[in-house]
Amino acid sequence: MRKRFAGVIGLLALLMIGALAVSAAEYVPGSPLKVGFVYVGPVTDYGWTAAHDQARQICVDTFPWLETIYVETVAEGEEGATIDKLINEEGCHVVITTSFGFIWGTVDKAQQYPDKIFLHATGFLREPNLATYMADFYQIYYLNGIIAGALTETNKLGYIGAVPIPELKRHISAFALGARAVNPDAEIHVRWINEWVDPVAASAATRALIDEGCDAFAFTEDTAAVVQVAAENEMISFGHYSPMYVFSPEYCVSGQIAHWEAIYLDFFQKIYDGVYTANNLKHVDYWWLLQEEGVEMGCDPGMVINPAYEAQLKGIMFTDPVLGEISIYDLVMIRLQQMSDPGITFDPFQGPVYDRKGVLRVPAGCILSFDELTQMQWAAEGIVGAWPDEP
Amino acid sequence: MEWQSWVVSTFSFMLSYGTPLLLATLGEIYAERSGVLNLGIEGMMIMGAYSAFVSAYVTQNPWIGLAVAAGVGCAFSLIHAFASITLKANQVVSGLALTLLGLGLSGVLGRTWGGLPLPRTLQKITVPGLSRIPILGPSLFEGQTLLVYITILLVPLLWFILFKTRIGISIRSVGEDPATADSLGVNVKRVRYLCVAIGGMLAGVAGGYLSVAYRPAWTEGMTAGMGWIVVALTIFAFWNPITGMLGSFLFAALYHLSFRLQPWMSPELLRALPYLFAILVLVFVSRGTLQRRMGAPAALTIPYTRGED
Repeated sequence: MRKRFAGVIGLLALLMIGALAVSAAEYVPGSPLKVGFVYVGPVTDYGWTAAHDQARQICVDTFPWLETIYVETVAEGEEGATIDKLINEEGCHVVITTSFGFIWGTVDKAQQYPDKIFLHATGFLREPNLATYMADFYQIYYLNGIIAGALTETNKLGYIGAVPIPELKRHISAFALGARAVNPDAEIHVRWINEWVDPVAASAATRALIDEGCDAFAFTEDTAAVVQVAAENEMISFGHYSPMYVFSPEYCVSGQIAHWEAIYLDFFQKIYDGVYTANNLKHVDYWWLLQEEGVEMGCDPGMVINPAYEAQLKGIMFTDPVLGEISIYDLVMIRLQQMSDPGITFDPFQGPVYDRKGVLRVPAGCILSFDELTQMQWAAEGIVGAWPDEP
Repeated sequence: MEWQSWVVSTFSFMLSYGTPLLLATLGEIYAERSGVLNLGIEGMMIMGAYSAFVSAYVTQNPWIGLAVAAGVGCAFSLIHAFASITLKANQVVSGLALTLLGLGLSGVLGRTWGGLPLPRTLQKITVPGLSRIPILGPSLFEGQTLLVYITILLVPLLWFILFKTRIGISIRSVGEDPATADSLGVNVKRVRYLCVAIGGMLAGVAGGYLSVAYRPAWTEGMTAGMGWIVVALTIFAFWNPITGMLGSFLFAALYHLSFRLQPWMSPELLRALPYLFAILVLVFVSRGTLQRRMGAPAALTIPYTRGED
């Protein structure tokens, strides 16, 4: 008995030494790479976390030298212990934290493990071994807004927002600018649910907006609840994060899909090649948009606009000061092209843009800087509803 | 006619969102009336939601989904019954364990069911005749599922059984004074098992309603704390099915208004409003003497052992 006990102790000691050895090893370019993901939600949320996990899977399928592990539904604030585990017990060379709320734990651990590489989504704090990244949708929200503004009959568009942070405010304002570019009477009615994943609340908020007279819906919540409730009431919607066409083939007109793999593939390849190391990430910030193919417009891969709406959108004409008489369908496609081309010739926040209080936010001839976009608090004209921290 | 649309939408939402709350509350009233506090409602509801979705998806029949949810909720509640009645474990701990188990288990099992829409959902019906009454018709008799009306019919039925029949007397006496009930020939264990099972069944159906009717899809953790509201509503209802209905529908109406009133009031405050209301009621009724008068079962959370008094 005692012998066996001693054996167990010995084994544990060996394991601990092994773990230490693993954690001390710095990544050698060209050798197998192990990456640990820290997710804020379940991989089955069909939204944010699901999109990250699909990207992880694509990376695994692409790179034979890549090994990954993930921990899901990690509460914000508890990322530190998870990171410790991924590095010390799992021997990860790279740790990716996929929520803004993981910011302090990630920075903390990046300083504690200077020879490991960290990547934090949607954040703004960087270290020599900590880079940040984001695949942003604001351009696509603008295009969705054009379609919604053209198709609405009540001139009231609904937006169900998860949490009032600059990212959502930027998206809602872009959606409003798109809608009002083709329909100056359009109003965007906003309801906040103050949760990232809460399909029951999102359904309730959608129904409240339908009762207000809204007939087209965009949203930020990590499930397809809004798309489903809109379809039940025969109203159009725009999918978000994941391909949501399947939830409403008749009424899901377009939307946005994230391609986090574009960023991950680039990042992992550069680590493997020795381009990115634990010493040179201080200024590495991925802000990938349409042009970099970090995001895609549509509610299903490869489908920019639901074919069921193509004829209708081609039939609605609009007079643009530069492009002249043009159909809504063509307008969307041209704007999409202008923002996807290497030399971008269009931006949703192109001045002059006023906020809903009448303050000039973007002067004529200007566009917003990266910082202005990522710290946006104001609400564009046409937005109706509560707007916490409105300047 | 602005106010009319407000009335219609509030009442209509009150029914569709209040129904799962009411179902689970009715079940918890029975369990607590027999002296067993079950804090596992959230766990039973989420297991109900998961099993209803999967079986409705496979069989293409939402009613089968609800039946399976009832069975699963019932089976799940028996874990709590076994622990707290037979093994005489602490009811609070055992109930909480049930909630954690349900959330975890449904999350693991539900892994591959996330991104699927339910092809055939519970059908919405229009009650012939009644739906033509102005205002009341469209608010109460249109666009709801049959389950909503079944649930409402359950209220007087369960009230009648609890307060006007021998079975009801047995249940209440077991919750008030199990020793006396036992000496009068009531099988305390059996009554308590039965009531906990009824509670589990109804909580399972409540969860099933969420995933096959209210929002026909499966998301991990989709009950989002509803089970805790039910615990509060049970107390608010003074352990009476009729007040349970009032409480559930009032809460649902407040929940709806919390979204409709957002342009005029702070969304954070509004979102907290229904919960603040629940807390206020709890503070009000938790004054001991009042609670006794209002119907709190005296033997609630106390395991019964024959011959110990």
